[in-house]
Amino acid sequence: MPLSTFSSDARAMPAQKPTFYERHVPDIRWGRTLVLCLFLALVGFTAWETGMRSLGLFPGDLGDGQGHWAVERRKIDTSDQDAVAIVGASRILFDTDLDLFKSKTGLRPVQLALPGTNARPFLEDLANDEDFSGLVIVGITEVSYFREGLGLFHGALDYYRTESPSRRIGHRIYRALSRHLAFIDDGYGLTTLLERIRLEERSGVKGPYDDVWKISVAGADRKTWLWDRIETDTYLRDHARYAWDDFRGDPVSTDIVDTVIDSTRRDILKIRQRGGEVVFIRPPSAGPVLVNERLRAPRSRVWDRLIAETGAVGIHFEDYPATRDLELPEWSHLSRDDARIFTEVYVDVMMGRVDWLRQRLPEG
Amino acid sequence: MLFNSLTFIVFFAAVLGLHALPLPWRLKKFNLLIASYLFYAAWNPPFVLLLWLSTLVDWFVARAIYTEERLTRRRGLMLLSVAVNLGVLGYFKYGEFLLENWQLLMGTMGIDFHPPSWSIVLPVGISFYTFQTMAYSLDVYLRRSAPAESFTDFALFVTFFPQLVAGPIVRPTQLIPQFATPRRANVNQIAWGLGLVTLGLFQKVVVADGLLAPAADKVFGAGQSLPFGDAWLGTLAFSGQIFCDFAGYSTTAIGIAMCLGFSLPNNFRFPYAAMGFSDFWRRWHISLSTWLRDYLYIPLGGNRKGSLRTYANLLTTMLLGGLWHGASWTFVAWGGLHGIYLATERWLKRRFGGRSVRPVATRIGLVLLTYLLVNLTWVMFRAQDFPTAWRLLGAMTGLATGDQAVLPRINVIIVAVVIPVMLLVHWLMRERELEAVVTSLPWWATATAWAGMLFTIVATQGSGDAFIYFQF
Repeated sequence: MPLSTFSSDARAMPAQKPTFYERHVPDIRWGRTLVLCLFLALVGFTAWETGMRSLGLFPGDLGDGQGHWAVERRKIDTSDQDAVAIVGASRILFDTDLDLFKSKTGLRPVQLALPGTNARPFLEDLANDEDFSGLVIVGITEVSYFREGLGLFHGALDYYRTESPSRRIGHRIYRALSRHLAFIDDGYGLTTLLERIRLEERSGVKGPYDDVWKISVAGADRKTWLWDRIETDTYLRDHARYAWDDFRGDPVSTDIVDTVIDSTRRDILKIRQRGGEVVFIRPPSAGPVLVNERLRAPRSRVWDRLIAETGAVGIHFEDYPATRDLELPEWSHLSRDDARIFTEVYVDVMMGRVDWLRQRLPEG
Repeated sequence: MLFNSLTFIVFFAAVLGLHALPLPWRLKKFNLLIASYLFYAAWNPPFVLLLWLSTLVDWFVARAIYTEERLTRRRGLMLLSVAVNLGVLGYFKYGEFLLENWQLLMGTMGIDFHPPSWSIVLPVGISFYTFQTMAYSLDVYLRRSAPAESFTDFALFVTFFPQLVAGPIVRPTQLIPQFATPRRANVNQIAWGLGLVTLGLFQKVVVADGLLAPAADKVFGAGQSLPFGDAWLGTLAFSGQIFCDFAGYSTTAIGIAMCLGFSLPNNFRFPYAAMGFSDFWRRWHISLSTWLRDYLYIPLGGNRKGSLRTYANLLTTMLLGGLWHGASWTFVAWGGLHGIYLATERWLKRRFGGRSVRPVATRIGLVLLTYLLVNLTWVMFRAQDFPTAWRLLGAMTGLATGDQAVLPRINVIIVAVVIPVMLLVHWLMRERELEAVVTSLPWWATATAWAGMLFTIVATQGSGDAFIYFQF
């Protein structure tokens, strides 16, 4: 057996003086090796890209993540006083058509909502930003907003504050490539797809089927909408519905409701003192998802109190005939067409009820 | 900047292009130096100041030591270098740890001590470059080598971007002489360098992050007692993840340096085929283990001062080696376990003689036993705290198993396939060099394997996760 690295006798073998050596290069025909390698890799990439396009991925779906969010958040830093920011979870993200909003109001909102994430720290961030005096639209998903945890993208603010130059550049390159290549999609990596092979799961184990898979598509400025395959592919739609079924739990406690309303009220006050405003919007949900939400966060105990105790304008989808029966393929997010209807309705309501917005509307 | 990032691809292409231009060698070295600072600054610009501090201190101290004849002054200068390097390392890496433990100590004495909160960011790769620069001054102090003649060469030695943030920890005599004369890779070296970069990124992006990390994360993140099988599978997955992550980084670094015409030493030699722990440490993170041997174990006396002292030296070296990895007692325990393994092996060899083992079955048995015992240490290394480690070890030894499995079936299958394949590769490569194997393969087989790795890297995409060893 060889001697130990640490058993060398210092007298017999004093500390080494390593000297550099030329690394050996394998003696093969590198030219043809490189050509064949590149050819095979190119064939592989082409086949993969074609396969991903056949699955419904397409160039121009820019994806989403903390890097994308940080780009939008910086827009607030450089915007004028009329900035409109949207915070919330995935519903207000998917269900708002930014282009339509802009065409109706002349203002393009900065989309800061994050899937599966509590909006409170982001409202608080804007409230504490002395330079912000705009309008904040807070998308309310009660079981997300009225909880202690921060959720999926809890680190987004830290990321934005500490994002390295390398990551910023990498993000730009990623977006540039996403405009031309369909296969660049977090949800469709090779090993991710490998993990999604359907197997009979071990008893009591949460597997990849329990995760939320790709359900959205994103364009420039984080304009996001429901992926059309969720509307057309029953397997993916059923999977999405199954994944939402995991969001069951105990009713939201009165303590949490009290605490959250208190902190929200403080944030609203700060924003109003600078001339800004806050509006709450409750986008639609349906089916068992809505049933579950009504059980966990009954409207009278949560939404109605939030609106009454903060004095903010609240727009609940149940209050408007045009938004009561919209299409939600997987019960939680509107189809792309119906997202336009919902945006149209809530923007109209805001234009009528929110002074901050009314004062900034273009004449005529 | 991460090797597995789009930013790095653009950066590296630019550096390679610049290095190929017909410019004077001094200018090329200057380009490499600037590129290395940009590489580091791309993560957090202000921390480049630490690199400059380390560079300036060791440059001047080493020159002063070299010309100084008086022993006390030489020693004082050497201690200045050690104090500055370890001081910087201690402040950024161990400050919070020391403060927490001081608080605990005060608490045991009934003193209610509340230190201010410590929110210092750990500069990436600080453990690597401080050890590298310290080695330079120590070598001059120990009269093992003369100081560098050119400040640019020395600054480039400290900063050379391929190995700056996660090694290999290169010795002055390995790298500084390479900067003295013009170096430019030929086509074969560039091709092989790119091949090594592909292999390294395949290990990191596909095997470590894509295939094994999910299982390891689930098991080590479970806040409950686990069944025997899940505990072992998660630990085995981590053994593969940590190897592919770190060896992947080293292989990529070696490949990048080769594309620029430089030779970096191997940092791994298929360590899971090791027979015994001394063999393991000659195959795992070689640049650190030899550093510890040369600058800690031997100065402590090595094996020159009797058996008992040798065992104590081994243990001290490994405990500090553990602490080098992170400011946590779990890392110290990891190092301590390896120290005990090495000491036990040494005792067994002295007691029963260090005969070479010939039968293949016995050799395989020894390899598997070593791997099994190494896995027990990985529990300490990966667990975020001792309760998690005890829980895992309890399940792995069958002493405290839980009922509820956490690993999905697909992860079980992946670990059950990948780990045996990894072990087989290590066994087959135990006495071989990668270069020799590639030479012996038909060229089309090499091209196909290379294309396969390239394709899987791109198709896996990766999440841009940092290499595990960056945090050290």
